[in-house]
Amino acid sequence: MQNNDIRNLWQAQGSADAPLTLEELRQKGEKFRTTIARRNLREYIGVALMVPYFSYFAWTSRLPLMRVGNGLLVAALLYMAYQLHRRASASSTPGELAWQSCLAFHRAQLERQRDALSGIWRWYLGPLIPGFATIAIAISIPLFHRSIGAGLLSFLWIAFPALVLWQVARCNRGAAAKIQRQIDELAAAERNSNSGAPV
Amino acid sequence: MEGKPQDERYLEAAAEYGAALHRLASAYEADPDKRRDLLQELHLALWRSLASFDGRCSLRTWVYRVAHNAATSYVIGQRRSRASAWISLEEVAAVADPAEGEWAAGRRHSVDRLLALIQQLKPLDRQVILSYLEGLDAAATAEITGISPGNVATKIHRIKNLLTQRFHEGVSDAE
Repeated sequence: MQNNDIRNLWQAQGSADAPLTLEELRQKGEKFRTTIARRNLREYIGVALMVPYFSYFAWTSRLPLMRVGNGLLVAALLYMAYQLHRRASASSTPGELAWQSCLAFHRAQLERQRDALSGIWRWYLGPLIPGFATIAIAISIPLFHRSIGAGLLSFLWIAFPALVLWQVARCNRGAAAKIQRQIDELAAAERNSNSGAPV
Repeated sequence: MEGKPQDERYLEAAAEYGAALHRLASAYEADPDKRRDLLQELHLALWRSLASFDGRCSLRTWVYRVAHNAATSYVIGQRRSRASAWISLEEVAAVADPAEGEWAAGRRHSVDRLLALIQQLKPLDRQVILSYLEGLDAAATAEITGISPGNVATKIHRIKNLLTQRFHEGVSDAE
């Protein structure tokens, strides 16, 4: 079998029939748009519900540390809402699939995944930590005054979620490092290709 | 091509490249059900993208870029944690073919073996081998993939050697 035979064999398969009619494409396109819009709306509603909740405690709590903690959470939620809005506005357009070469597109996709992993800490979970930590300390102090045992138990109550978050962060760092290695490989291929070296 | 409505452009592209999209989907997804979904996704991505077709490249380059990029996006999502399982053309050539000598068992079997070989390749090598099989020249493949025509030519040379090694029983590459 010659290479031309293999090409002919390859090109002999496949059907030219479109799997969807134009009407079905339009419906799927609309569904795609509404799915994205609904996902963004859910995030905004979540923030919109949480802000008044924590604001109430920031305003009415008797403990100053509780007020500070809840205030920090409100600030974190507003920052998250801003970041969500910024990211939703910068989302990719359908034409981008054709404007970038496969190499550039693949790299951009991997960079997006890597940034999403690190972004969880920069603008999603990370900003909430100071507020929750302050509230946890505000709860622990009176318990310590009551008894050392109760205080230690409250520390465990803080330590457990902290440990879980630390573990999640570690896994994310590992996944981001793996993706970074793939990005480096593609970047090297792009550099070599531009310089004429083999890729 | 510019100035045509999106639907008209899509119908033209689907008529000309529909079979190629079908083959491309089978090279990116082995499971028949998921392959059907992927093919629908490719057509949807093409239809949506053609709303912003501006003639900056040929319709052929546009279609292949959209299809490869949408399919790559799909496999990255599917195999996010298993991307390390992908291998390069050089690595494939170094591994013995488990079905060596069985190519004569029929055309269907040869296509299946070819698909199995392509599906384990890294996206860039997969894009080049598919362009070669679709009959695109080095310049067109370079425009689609983003690597230089010289590098495409090198890869095609490796692909020819690999296909010779896997599919020619003692027949030298006459190309």
